[in-house]
Amino acid sequence: MFRIPLIVRGEVIDDCLLEFNGRRGEIGFCTPDVEHYIDKIVLQRPSAMADLYSIDFESILDYLSELSERLNFTNNAHMQEAFDLSCLTSGLSESILRYQYENIPYYFQRDVVEDMTENLIGIDNIEGWVEQRPRNNNDTKVSIRAFGSRAVHIIAGNAPVLAATTIIRNAITRSDGVIKLPSNDPLTATAIALTMAEMAPEHPLTRHLSVAYWKGGNESFESKLYQPRYIEKIIAWGGYASIQYVTKYLQPGIDLITLDPKHSASIVGKEAFENEQTMREVAAQAALDIASLNQEACVNARVIHAVCGTNEKGLANVNRWGEMVYEAMQKLPDTISTQHKAFDPQLREELDGLRLFDEDHRLIGGVGSEGAIIISQIDEPVDFSHLLACRVANIVPVDDVDTALKSVNAYTQTIGIYPETLKQQIRDNLAWQGAQRIVSLGGAVNLVAVSTPQDGIEPVRRMCKWIVDERHSNNLPLEAI
Amino acid sequence: MPSIVERLIEDPLNFVECDYYDCFQISCADIEQIHLEGAKKRFDQLRDSIPILRKLASEQRIESIEQINDLVPLLFPHTVYKSYPFSYLEKNRFDKLTRWFNTLTAEDLSQLDVSSCTSIDCWIKVIEKGTGLKPCHTSGTTGKLSFLPRSHDQWYTQINLIGNMIRDWHGKNSGPDLKKNHLPYVQPHYKSGSAALLRGSQTQIEVFSGGADNAVYLYPESLSADVASLAGRIRVAESRGELGLLRIQPELLARRDEMVERERQRPERMKEFLQEAIARFGGKPIVLSSVWPILFDAAQDGFANGVSQVFAPGSVLISGGGLKGRDLPDDWRSQIFEFLGFDQAYEVYSMSEMMLLFPSCTEKNYHVPPVLVPFCLDPETGEALPRTGRQTGRFAYLDLLPDNYWGGLVTGDEVTMSGWDEPCGCGRAGPYVDHEIRRYSQKEGGDDKINCAGTPEAQQRAINFIVNS
Repeated sequence: MFRIPLIVRGEVIDDCLLEFNGRRGEIGFCTPDVEHYIDKIVLQRPSAMADLYSIDFESILDYLSELSERLNFTNNAHMQEAFDLSCLTSGLSESILRYQYENIPYYFQRDVVEDMTENLIGIDNIEGWVEQRPRNNNDTKVSIRAFGSRAVHIIAGNAPVLAATTIIRNAITRSDGVIKLPSNDPLTATAIALTMAEMAPEHPLTRHLSVAYWKGGNESFESKLYQPRYIEKIIAWGGYASIQYVTKYLQPGIDLITLDPKHSASIVGKEAFENEQTMREVAAQAALDIASLNQEACVNARVIHAVCGTNEKGLANVNRWGEMVYEAMQKLPDTISTQHKAFDPQLREELDGLRLFDEDHRLIGGVGSEGAIIISQIDEPVDFSHLLACRVANIVPVDDVDTALKSVNAYTQTIGIYPETLKQQIRDNLAWQGAQRIVSLGGAVNLVAVSTPQDGIEPVRRMCKWIVDERHSNNLPLEAI
Repeated sequence: MPSIVERLIEDPLNFVECDYYDCFQISCADIEQIHLEGAKKRFDQLRDSIPILRKLASEQRIESIEQINDLVPLLFPHTVYKSYPFSYLEKNRFDKLTRWFNTLTAEDLSQLDVSSCTSIDCWIKVIEKGTGLKPCHTSGTTGKLSFLPRSHDQWYTQINLIGNMIRDWHGKNSGPDLKKNHLPYVQPHYKSGSAALLRGSQTQIEVFSGGADNAVYLYPESLSADVASLAGRIRVAESRGELGLLRIQPELLARRDEMVERERQRPERMKEFLQEAIARFGGKPIVLSSVWPILFDAAQDGFANGVSQVFAPGSVLISGGGLKGRDLPDDWRSQIFEFLGFDQAYEVYSMSEMMLLFPSCTEKNYHVPPVLVPFCLDPETGEALPRTGRQTGRFAYLDLLPDNYWGGLVTGDEVTMSGWDEPCGCGRAGPYVDHEIRRYSQKEGGDDKINCAGTPEAQQRAINFIVNS
C-alpha cells in the first residue's frame, strides 16, 4: 500500500494510519489523519503571512529555480515514487507520464516563472504598491498591491503538471496554500513539497504550503477547515466532483474560484481540402489536438467541424480526411500519445452500437483501445459527443463556418483552427459564443508552459487580494461636519 | 408425451405451456442442450431477416452456431436499440427512424407510411396499426430512448409467464392463479403509454385484473414517449450550443414545464392515489408492481397518517430493481410489508430488452429460466467466462423467446453467476445470479478523482446540486 505523507509547512508527518482502500481494483493508499493536524494546517493568525513579505521576488525566483534543479526526474526519489504511483492511478500511460515528469522542472525555471508572473499578474503588482494613473481634477492618489491569500486548492489529477502549476502559483502570489490531493494523482504535489522541505525547511515559501489527502466530504475535518477566519479562497478544479462537498461551507468571506471541466473542439476551413498534401498536413495537426495526453485533458479536441460541405464531394473529402487523421493519430510518438490504458466502457458500448448502424456516422478504428475517428455523414455530431475521450473524436462536415460557430458553447474551452486567416476572421464570434482559448490547429495541447489566462477567468489574479491604498487630498468636506 | 426438455428444444416458446416449477429442476446438461439447440434455431431463423444481425454475423464471419460460445460475438451491444440520431426526431425524419428500426426486426416496415408523423407517439401508433408490432421504449440513464420491436403477442407471452411464476414459483399451485382468479391492480404509475414498463402493466391489468375498471392509477393519463424523451433531447441540444437549442421543437420545450409541474405535484398526487386505492380496494387482495423505494416512501407517508395493513393477505407484489441508490434503514422491507398488509412478494431481475424474468429464491438468488442463455463476460476482453464455479463479469444473454427480433444482448450490468456445478441452496437446478447487481457505469469516477476535462452534463449536475443544496 502506498504511503502518502502529510506535508505541513515543511514538516513531514508520516504516521500513515488511515487506509483508503482502492475500490474495485483501484489502488489503495494510506495517509496520516488530517484531523489531528488541523491546527497546524490552517494559518491561525493572518499576521503569520508577514514572513512572505520579508523576501523579494528575486529570492522567490532563486528558490523556485533551485527547486527546478532538485526536481530532476532522474535523481529525485520522491518524484520517481510519484511517477510509480501515477502509473497506477492516472489515465495516462507510462511513456506519456514519464515525459510529463521529466518536464516538470521546466515550469520552475527562473525565466519561465518570471514571464508567467509578469504576464499573469505583473511583477510590480506583487512587489509593491503601484500608483494608479490619476484622474483629471481628482487629487486622490490610488495605489494597489496584489497580496497573497490563504487558500485551499482542490486540484485535478489528470496530469501531474497541475500539481506543479498550483505550487508555483502559490509561491509567486505569496499565498498560504493547502493542496487537497486528488485520488487520481495522490503523490505529485506531495513529492514536490517533500523536495521543498528537504531543500529549505525554514524558508517562507516552504512554510506556507501544506499538501494533504482527505476523503472529499469528510465533514468533521472540512467544517473546521473551511472557515472564513482561516481560508479566504477555494480554488476548485473539476466541477461537480470537487465542489460537491465545498458548497455547503461557502459563506461571505470565502471566495470560490471554479476551474470548471471543459471540452475543446476544432474548426477546419475549406482550405484544408484544397489538395492531398494540405489534407495530410492538416490531418496531422488535428491528430495532435485530439490525441496528445491521450485526450485526458480539457484542451483536447473532441468534435472537429470541417467546412468541406455535406454534398457528395464534401463527404468523400471528409471520409478520406478522417482516414488520414486516424492514421496520423496512430503514428504519434509514445511520449505524446499511446493506446488508452483504460478505455471508457460506456464509450465502447456507444461505438459498438454505432458500428452496426453506420448510415449517419462512419466509424474508423475503435475495435480495441487504439482510438477511433467517427465521421458524421450529416452535419451534426453523435448524440454521445459528451463521452468522447480515450482518443475518440468526431469529425462533422458542415456547409458553412456559421454552423460550426453556433455549436460552440460555454463549456468549450479551446478551439483549434485551420487556417490562420479563418481564425482571425472568427475569433471574436467564438469569444461571444463561449470559447475561451483560440489556437492554431495542432497547438491545443501546448506541452510547454504558456503564461495565459485560464478559461477566460484569470484565476491567478483572482488568487490575489487586490488591496487599495487611497491618499486623499485636503479638500475632503470636513468643514461640513 | 415428450419431456419438458424435448418440448423446450422443440420450441423455446413452449416454456409458456410447461410446468413453471419443473422448468427450474432441469439438469445443467439438459439446459445446455436446450441452449445450444435454441441458439441454433434462432440464429438460422433470424440471421437473414434482421439486417443488423446479418451485418454482425458477416463481420464476425459466423455462419452457424456450433458451440454455445459462438454466440458471444453475435450479442448486440444494448446501444443498438438507441443508435439512431436524435436529430431524426427534431427534424421529423420518421421515415429515417423507421428505416433504422427496420434493421432490428424481422418484420418488414418498409411499406409503412410515416410521412404524417410529427411525434414519437404518432410514429409508434402507425407501426402498431400497420404491423404485428407493439413497440416499446425505455429511457436509459442518458435520457435517450431505446426502441424495441416487440410484437403484440410477445406482451401476452411475457405476462402469461409472470402468471405462471406467481402460481408455481414456490411449488405447483403455491400461489394464486391470477389468470383464472382476477385481482384488482394497484398501479403507482401512468395508466398507459408505450414505455416498456407500461406496456407490461397494461397487459397485466388485462390478464390478471380483467381490465382497466379493476385498477387504480397514480396518473390516469398516458405517458407520452415524446415527453419521456425530452430530458435527453434537451441535454444533447445544450451540448450543441446555440444551434442545438434552435433545432429543438418549441412545442416540445413547452411541454417541459408540464412535466416539471407534474413532478412537483407528485407527493400530493401520491397521497390522493393511496386514498383512492384504499377506498376501492382496502382490505382486499390486490396485485401491485413497483420498485422498493417508491413503496418505502408510500409506507412512510402512510405511517405518518396512521395508515398501515392496507391490503389483505393473498395480495401479490412484483418488485425488483434494487434500491436505486437509496439509503434505506435496515428494516425497510418489513416496514413496507407492515404498510401493505401482506408479504407475498416476487422479486425479479429483468430488463426491458428481455422477455424473461429471473425470480428470486429464498437464498436471494435470481434464477435463470432455461430458455435464456446467460453469459458472464470478462469486462475487459468481452470473452465468455467459463460455465463453472462462481464468475463475476458483464451480464450478456440470448433470450430464446423472441422469434422476430434478435434476443442477444450485452448488458451494462455486473453480475455474479453460479449454479452450473451444483444446485442452489433452495434446491433449484441451473444457473443463477447473485442478489448484488450493479451498473458498470457506476464504477466510473471513483472517490476524489478530479479532472479538468468534462461535460455539460457534469456541469448541469453541479448546478442542480448548488440550486438544491
